[in-house]
Amino acid sequence: MSDFVIIGAGPAGISAANESARYGVKVTLIDENNLPGGQLFTQTHKFFGSREHRAGVRGFQIGYDLIEEINKLNVDVLLDTIVYGISADMEVKYVTEGSSAKSITAGNILISTGALEKPVVFKGWTKPGVMGAGAAQTMMNVHRVLPGRKVLMVGSGNVGLIVAYQLKQAGADVVGIIEAMPSIGGYKVHASKIRRIGIPILTSCTIKEAKGSPQVSSAVIVGVDKNLREISGTEDEIKCDLVCIAAGLKPFDELCWLLNLEFKYINELGGFVPVHNDDLETSMKNIYIAGDAAGVEEASTAMEEGRLVGVAVAQKLEYLSDRQAEKLKGKINDRLKYLRLGSFGKKRAEGKKKLTSISK
Amino acid sequence: MKSKVSNKSNAGIITLGEFKKIPGYPEEDDFSKGPIAVIECDQDIPCNPCEEICKYGAIKVGKPITNLPVLDAEKCRGCLKCITICPGLCIFVVYRDYTDKTSLIYIPYEFSPLPEKNTYVDVLNRRGEKICKGSIRKVIKLAGSNKTFVIGMEIPKKFYNTARHFEF
Amino acid sequence: MADKRTSIIVCRCEEITDEEVRKAVKEGATSVDAVKRVTRAGMGLCQSKICYLNIAKIIHEETGIPVSKLIPMKHRIPVRPVKIGDLDN
Repeated sequence: MSDFVIIGAGPAGISAANESARYGVKVTLIDENNLPGGQLFTQTHKFFGSREHRAGVRGFQIGYDLIEEINKLNVDVLLDTIVYGISADMEVKYVTEGSSAKSITAGNILISTGALEKPVVFKGWTKPGVMGAGAAQTMMNVHRVLPGRKVLMVGSGNVGLIVAYQLKQAGADVVGIIEAMPSIGGYKVHASKIRRIGIPILTSCTIKEAKGSPQVSSAVIVGVDKNLREISGTEDEIKCDLVCIAAGLKPFDELCWLLNLEFKYINELGGFVPVHNDDLETSMKNIYIAGDAAGVEEASTAMEEGRLVGVAVAQKLEYLSDRQAEKLKGKINDRLKYLRLGSFGKKRAEGKKKLTSISK
Repeated sequence: MKSKVSNKSNAGIITLGEFKKIPGYPEEDDFSKGPIAVIECDQDIPCNPCEEICKYGAIKVGKPITNLPVLDAEKCRGCLKCITICPGLCIFVVYRDYTDKTSLIYIPYEFSPLPEKNTYVDVLNRRGEKICKGSIRKVIKLAGSNKTFVIGMEIPKKFYNTARHFEF
Repeated sequence: MADKRTSIIVCRCEEITDEEVRKAVKEGATSVDAVKRVTRAGMGLCQSKICYLNIAKIIHEETGIPVSKLIPMKHRIPVRPVKIGDLDN
């Protein structure tokens, strides 16, 4: 029996663990990797935000700080462990590498399982040498393996722009970034640093084929019109040994589907997202959701959402008085509000509003 | 990538007309007082570490933090701190009148290896195009800069508004 | 456009092609679950983590049903690959 089982120790999960354990909640934190921190360890760039969001600090350093914090608290951390199911009576079923299946009954559960990369289908997309930008980032920044020497990046959201820059930092030649839309999806400052080091960005352009046998040796790109229809005659073949796909992320919510939670389709948040209230509790009592699994945003909002759930659970279990908890939540919500301002954040804020308004 | 697909994209490019309107961009006269910060930030991203790190109070973001940073040219001493903290790597320090004929541009640099002092380099503009030759004069590691180095390169004066990177 | 893509694999685990999924949709399999039952797409190791969107997109193209109405296939325990031996306790 555990007061609070957290599935996924990324920025949201580990923040929820720290925040709730601080007030006395008995927490079990489960992750499939051999280190908590999730995607923070792939992020070698400095974060945006304000001081409270650790702006100017690199992602992996925030990861180490969160681990240091969790080590000081009384949290039961299960690593190299996958959760393969949750039963309706709150039994979390898991397998730790090298041992047989076990289960733990949870008073409360947080599903903070992050996001998955969206695939793009084109001729040759299953060849070795085509991979998600996030996968390339993990290989390069966590495992120190450069996945290619000559790279074509498909997609110009922040993930595509940042990973292209990091591939260049790691020594790869990035031949270009292509974007099907007429303008880039990510921050202009990220695009600026790409452009001034000589990496071209082609907008209204998509990938048609990855060639090579078996390994990718070139890619055929093609111009597209406003309706994203290919313009024949504009094809061009580009030599490369790695095609990185950065076509966006979707919430990774298989455990929520398993539990038959209520979902809503919110395009701005990556697709189907579990409906939740302001405490991030889903349509099923005592099941919470946070981070990208609760709608794709970014790491800073994930950490704040995690903290919010941590406080909510501590309040429910009476480790915090209602007054204390509401005060803490108010502060977290203020910070979340700031992270969802501006032309980029506004869309996510609207998406979140659609999601929480239904559950009231 | 020389491609048949048109690459007239201004993606990531702040054009000459645009940067004069950015509140973080100094007025022409401000360049005569010495090294000065040039903040090429024109999107309402929630972010304000540049304001926090400036001990002279020369950068104002305020609330909400999606405001664009506003430069107070009078207060800026060209101390380079803001270059290293900006997560967007979009702050430069420009010393237009470094000599009679040359300017010194300080840029953020996160690549390996670092250039050595006095290396002769190709100077690149915002589009990554070679525009002239320049010389690396300073390779600076500021305390707390967390692996973002500051490189000072000397370039012909007429490129002080366009030179933003180098290749060697 | 459809005919150009015929031999492209959309479900990597089970090696199901675009053509096979389209044929199933035309024959009446107009949900992700129905396509799974007819073709095995989504029944492999990844349990449709990757191919779900590819299948939803094809159903949308063939029927006009918006992707926002095409929920993923039914999830069952175990949602992740687990060795049978590990479950024996």
